[in-house]
Amino acid sequence: MATKAQVLKAREPRSASRSLLLTLPIALWSLLMFSGWFKQPNRSQQIAGIITVVFMVILFFMMMRTWSTYRWRRWFFVALGVLFPVGFIHQVLVMRGTMGIPIEEMIAGRTPFCFIPIPLLILPAALYKTVVFPGSILPGGGMSGGGMAAMAGIWLAITIVVGKGWCSYACFFGGIEEGMASVPAKATLRKIDPRWRYGPWAVLLAMTLLSLALFEPAYCMWLCPFKAVSEYVAARNTVGMVQNGIFIVLFAGLVIALPLLTKKRTQCAFFCPFGAFQSIFNKTSVFEVKIDRARCTPCVLCQKSCPTLSLTEESIAKGETLMSCMRCGACVDACPKGAVVWHIRGTEVAVKPERARLMFLYAAWAMAIMFGGSIIADGLATILHVFV
Amino acid sequence: MGTAFPFSEALLLGLASGPACVASCGPVVVPSLLAEQAGLRLNTRYLGAFLATRFLGYLLFAGVAWELGALVTFRPAARSFVFASIHVLLAGVLLRYAYSVGRTCAHSCAGPQLVTIGTVKNRRISGAAVMGFLTGVSLCPPFVVAGVRAAEMASMAAALLFFAVFFLGTSAWFVPFAGLGWVKRNEAVTTVARMAMVLIAVYYGYVGLTMLTGSKGYGY
Amino acid sequence: MRMLTAKLGYTGAGLTVFAAVLAPFLLYGLFTKGFSSLGLHIDEMYTGGPTVRTVQAAGYAIVIHRPVSPHMLQREKSFVQLDWKPVSALPLHVSDLVDIDGDGKPDVHVSFDVPKDPKARLHVDVESLNPRYEAMRNVSKEKFSALIVRVNDVVLVRVPVAH
Repeated sequence: MATKAQVLKAREPRSASRSLLLTLPIALWSLLMFSGWFKQPNRSQQIAGIITVVFMVILFFMMMRTWSTYRWRRWFFVALGVLFPVGFIHQVLVMRGTMGIPIEEMIAGRTPFCFIPIPLLILPAALYKTVVFPGSILPGGGMSGGGMAAMAGIWLAITIVVGKGWCSYACFFGGIEEGMASVPAKATLRKIDPRWRYGPWAVLLAMTLLSLALFEPAYCMWLCPFKAVSEYVAARNTVGMVQNGIFIVLFAGLVIALPLLTKKRTQCAFFCPFGAFQSIFNKTSVFEVKIDRARCTPCVLCQKSCPTLSLTEESIAKGETLMSCMRCGACVDACPKGAVVWHIRGTEVAVKPERARLMFLYAAWAMAIMFGGSIIADGLATILHVFV
Repeated sequence: MGTAFPFSEALLLGLASGPACVASCGPVVVPSLLAEQAGLRLNTRYLGAFLATRFLGYLLFAGVAWELGALVTFRPAARSFVFASIHVLLAGVLLRYAYSVGRTCAHSCAGPQLVTIGTVKNRRISGAAVMGFLTGVSLCPPFVVAGVRAAEMASMAAALLFFAVFFLGTSAWFVPFAGLGWVKRNEAVTTVARMAMVLIAVYYGYVGLTMLTGSKGYGY
Repeated sequence: MRMLTAKLGYTGAGLTVFAAVLAPFLLYGLFTKGFSSLGLHIDEMYTGGPTVRTVQAAGYAIVIHRPVSPHMLQREKSFVQLDWKPVSALPLHVSDLVDIDGDGKPDVHVSFDVPKDPKARLHVDVESLNPRYEAMRNVSKEKFSALIVRVNDVVLVRVPVAH
């Protein structure tokens, strides 16, 4: 991971007035998205809405002022990863009294749906018109929220806009490990076999095939590390305890320990099947990160800074990132020569890269405010409710 | 005058069961095919070996069950035992296969070869053949359905023929898998396939062991 | 050519930003409606299958579902779900003969207590009067194919279907 000295460009900050002007659309968007929050009778929700708007607008302003993206986006993403479990677990406890999902909740279709099983459900849905998940397609009461169709709808809308940028601007789990990865100054484990990068694809392939054969969301049943911070099997026998044990071990290992040791987003880079699935949408996204080979030295600072090992010497020589690039901006900010740049497909590389960055950020930050922002506000409201 | 052999019924039953066969064999076939070298010819050879031994497994099991009069009366407990044991074996074969992929001759040999498993040099057998046989005797649901109908045949020969035609119907659904031969093989594809095989092997091993020990499959 | 691809690129980028603006007002709702109109249904192993018949009793109704068969390698048995739906209230003890297949003959005898505490665990005894259905003794919520649970006010019983 790049150090602070490497991240800070030797460049004059953009003028405050110009930065404010560029931030204005985002400020207006935030006010629009959170107008409902300001009208809530509940004071904690009003305050949470205000704090979230100010937070998101300030971060965007700093992105404009400092010409950098990664560290400001990271603040948002870590806040999302930390506050989502707060709001979610509180809601689960209020509605059900337990984080465990009892079988009657599954039968009633009140299991909340998260985006991770989406790729696993495609084949059974396509071949048998059956959704192998104990939820509700439309709102079904309880923890079913807006229903599976709503989550799928929001997933598609955000994916069309940011492609695999979902993993940097929308995933409400990734912020935990991004936070962990940013804690140590230096990595303890520096040598990572690059073949581990194929892990997410292997998990995706295996879980997709098993989900079709067994007619169940195999990843949710056995391999999801985030069950430790959301909800899990209401274990009533040894097998249930084993299932929950697996979730806890995976969370402790992939989300806490390995990011602390390697300063990489290890769950995302080496395990998450949804991330592998989203990589496909990098091919359809108009925004990408490119390397201007004329300016590249190559010092491979970009490669070292990438949290998901999405840059290799071969890809740098070709002037591009791998399919797994999450559009987090770490490599762009780390490059001392300005060779790694934001890019719009079809345009010339490194010609007006700031325009590409701005257009991407307007789209991505709008999505972040709409989706992640509401989750942050919800978590904040939960905490504030104790005091207000 | 004997009744005509229900050829079309067996074929249609096979064709109707094909998707279920493909879905239940998919976790074994897809990653192991991807782990083989590229090439339509080689992948077709893989499928040929897989289907041939699967066919052998079908006929062998059907013949034995017919002799024992067990095609219809195969008790659920016995069926579970066979299913579970086969899945434990499949888990072992998948793990061995994933290990053996790295040892397949890829460069200076006379021609592309299927991945083989086994420890003794001259007695190695293609992994596809072993897995085909094991899936053929695993008593998957389509097999059981065919078994119930085949038990009504007048003779063992007719029952075996029924299975053979049924098998033909299900195998039609496997033909498109040969298209995986066009997928370029590189380190990424092979590594993904091997890792996926390990994950699937762990799951199959778990399923088999829990069924053998009579434990509950799920924790809720 | 370069000009054309650049123009296309910027157009695409502009449309993407526009899509981001449209997302909460149009796209999200459109996609949600699209997904919900695909005609998908939740696996019957969870939902219990469609209703086929309702039998009226004193103060409640017994809703009979179509038997559900497991899919391929699902490790559950076939089952039939019966719902005890209160019209006014369920009695403290339920003991009913249920004709599942509608042939006029009772197939199972189901009995269970209905505790006042809605969160209390339920137990059911099912006596099989038709070999097609399996008996159950003091079963709670063993698995999807053999259980008794309360969902809202309705008590659901799932009786395994014998092979």
